[in-house]
Amino acid sequence: MLKHFKRDINQWSLYTVTISLFITIPLLAIIIYLFDGTGEMWEHISNHFLWDYISNSLLLLVGTGIISTLFGVSSAWIVSNYEFRFRKWIQWLLFLPLAIPSYIVAYAYVGLLGNGGTFIRLLNSLGISIQKIEMMNHFGLIWILSCSLFPYVYASTRAVFLSFPKSIKESTQLLGASNRRYFFSVALPLASPAIIGGLFLVFMEVLNDYGAAKYYGINTFTTGIFRTWTALEDLQSAIYLSALLVIMVFAINAFVAWRRRKKSYVLKIDTSQQQSATRKTLQGKKGLLYGMILSIPILFGFVLPVIQLIYWAILTFSEMFNADLFWIAMQSIGVALSGAFFIIITSIALIYFSKWNPIKSFQILKKVATIGYVLPGAIIGIGIIRSSQSFIDFFSNTFGLKIGFLFYGSSIILIYAYVFRFLAVAFNPMEANALKIGKNLGEASQLLGISRLKTLFKVELPLVRNVIISAFVLVFIDILKELPLTLILKPYNLNTLAVTAYAYADDERVAEAALPALVLIVIIAILMSLLNYAEKTFLKATPNSK
Amino acid sequence: MFKKYILLALVTLAFSCKNDKKAEDQTEATDTKEQVVNLYTHRHYDTDKTIFANFEKETGIKVNVVKANADELIQKMESEGDQSPADVLITVDAGRLVRAKAKGLLQGVTSETLNTTIPEHLRDADGHWFGLTKRARVIVYDNQKVKPEDLSTYEALTDEKWHKKVLIRSSGNIYNQSLMASIIANNGKENAKAWAAGMVNNFARTPKGNDRDQVKGILAGEGEVAVINTYYLGKLLNSKDSTEINAGKAVKVFFPNQEDRGTHINISGIGVAKHAPNKDNAVKFIEYLVSKEVQEVFAKANYEYPVNRDAEVSDLLKSWGDFKEDSLPLSKLGELNKDAVILFDEVKWQ
Repeated sequence: MLKHFKRDINQWSLYTVTISLFITIPLLAIIIYLFDGTGEMWEHISNHFLWDYISNSLLLLVGTGIISTLFGVSSAWIVSNYEFRFRKWIQWLLFLPLAIPSYIVAYAYVGLLGNGGTFIRLLNSLGISIQKIEMMNHFGLIWILSCSLFPYVYASTRAVFLSFPKSIKESTQLLGASNRRYFFSVALPLASPAIIGGLFLVFMEVLNDYGAAKYYGINTFTTGIFRTWTALEDLQSAIYLSALLVIMVFAINAFVAWRRRKKSYVLKIDTSQQQSATRKTLQGKKGLLYGMILSIPILFGFVLPVIQLIYWAILTFSEMFNADLFWIAMQSIGVALSGAFFIIITSIALIYFSKWNPIKSFQILKKVATIGYVLPGAIIGIGIIRSSQSFIDFFSNTFGLKIGFLFYGSSIILIYAYVFRFLAVAFNPMEANALKIGKNLGEASQLLGISRLKTLFKVELPLVRNVIISAFVLVFIDILKELPLTLILKPYNLNTLAVTAYAYADDERVAEAALPALVLIVIIAILMSLLNYAEKTFLKATPNSK
Repeated sequence: MFKKYILLALVTLAFSCKNDKKAEDQTEATDTKEQVVNLYTHRHYDTDKTIFANFEKETGIKVNVVKANADELIQKMESEGDQSPADVLITVDAGRLVRAKAKGLLQGVTSETLNTTIPEHLRDADGHWFGLTKRARVIVYDNQKVKPEDLSTYEALTDEKWHKKVLIRSSGNIYNQSLMASIIANNGKENAKAWAAGMVNNFARTPKGNDRDQVKGILAGEGEVAVINTYYLGKLLNSKDSTEINAGKAVKVFFPNQEDRGTHINISGIGVAKHAPNKDNAVKFIEYLVSKEVQEVFAKANYEYPVNRDAEVSDLLKSWGDFKEDSLPLSKLGELNKDAVILFDEVKWQ
């Protein structure tokens, strides 16, 4: 066994191990903490809160899961199967709710529907006597999270619906199946892995939400971790709570994998014939109904919160609009660009190095490296600070070098933290695509005497160019919205739009938070439309290979 | 193809270096003895920026700022240890300063100016931290339905007559924790627990939202009295949103416990970091912040009360009148913070 191991090991195996280990350092730091046992407040927490945390988090997961599936699947189905006016616009608008951080949506809803809210005043002026529409409860939180997160389901489902070849639909029609039957018996089962994939992202975001749940007074795991850490001063128990959360995530993950295996339909697509089914024109009553189905998520997930934000931004425009805002926006973009760049590089390195490495058991390493996506931001922050501290101490003790400023005075650890946190977002789609391409081309190129790295740059990467670009944009957007890590790890005088908006909102100056939030939304919207445009034009023309 | 990637790499690197370079400049600057003071602060008011700029102009000491939540800043300082670049820590409550002191993150400072300007109960006995501004946690009441004669103390809010009429935010909030700590310190644990249970019994609704939302709740008739910090009322009245102004106008301020210990107050405060690389500058900075002129601007920015008695309060605060404040040493708030949270949990104060 060991002999095999020795024989098979090559430089790529070493690189794979090194990169994976380097990325997982914060995780190791957290695991080491677990050995210290639970903290002194553990009993108090488990007596008073644990059940609350579990039941609330489960309720939010189930509720948000159901509503975002309804929104995501129905809208994906309509835009990919019917033709109607503004279809292209609506297709794009459905992505936009992702541009607004969910805690901002939470504040905006209270501004709209709370006591004396904008919408309530509108109703009052129309003669409808109403005090408020209560949003600050479980259902309100589920609604808000669903409205702002359903695009994850929409995006993955739509991609599958669009890739259905014409032949599938034609054959179901030839067999006399109704449209409804086609949807429920053919399309839905075929799309279910994609739906579940999208749902998984929704679940992760729900579990990671802090701002919205805190404002609405609902105890979840994440708010509990913060409370235990700060108010009860028990970091140890906070880390145990995170460990429980991670177990929950693994359970969800296992469920997803199980569902996928159970329903692993394989769509064999013959590219020479690949042709999407033609879209039917929508009209009449059905058109009206479908139009309503589409407008609900857009209206509640994007239009209404943005209207409220614009209203607040106008109120505070004179004090908030200044050179600082511009500078903050530039800093946000700068950090996000560097973060996204390193994430893409790391993903490429991990994917290809482990592909070239012959030892199968190392495959698990890259999975471990992408675990940051499921850990609560605050806990990652603790792990990173602790591990960089040991590093600094090591340098100071052995070489007498003071290198602390390198870490605390620059964005290095922040960017490293982004890599740890968001690697999965880029890694998963890129890996899926890279594996699809297979080994043949690479091997052919090597047979021609071209080195592996050169082959990578000249042959393999150009083939997955599309997915690299879209992964870059997705990661970029995630970093722009990121809050807890940026708060904990940012260096002096660095401010991002998300941090600025949060600081104002947390200080009960929500109206002042609106303008930075809007700038953030506009930047993300522009990026999304660029990506959308790029996918339609030059990205389409990439060679398709097997 | 290669070239394109290299170009992309260079552009992004250039971007990431921009941040890094600035940091290098800073450290180089420290080496060449350009004077700086590094702030870890939980305050974020635009007037603070002007004050820092003026300080720089007057003394030539540059102010570097890291803004974040006090808990995160403390965690950060703790982890950074003796290489922490922080010179001072500013928080918006006394409890966090006490915690920072307990964790050995602050150091004692002796300054005649500070000791004479700041009243004794508003600073640490060992000079580890000093109050900068005061805020009172008061009762506000519906000026249509409630008369000030109906109100007396925090304790009296648990009376039968306020059943389902009391609005207050969740116990996760530090201001509630500090209020609870002061009640534990004054009345003992058992009584404090009974008080909290009585409050929960009188809640008009499950605690949610922030202090401003409690006042809006009064405007909407959901409750008749609310416990909030004074400056939030100032902010409501000076808001640009008409609903907020209406909410602010619907209530009046009542300073509780005037007949006995006085109204509970808290501070926004500052302490010098244990490993401060620029200790002298830090002390100069604190002394600057408590000077009369700066105190007026600093406190007014957030409708707070200055700690420097010579400084004038804003007209709005004057209109609320003078009040007797609880002279409990604020260090108690920090020491009893955890007990407060545990009691809250036991009586199920959300």
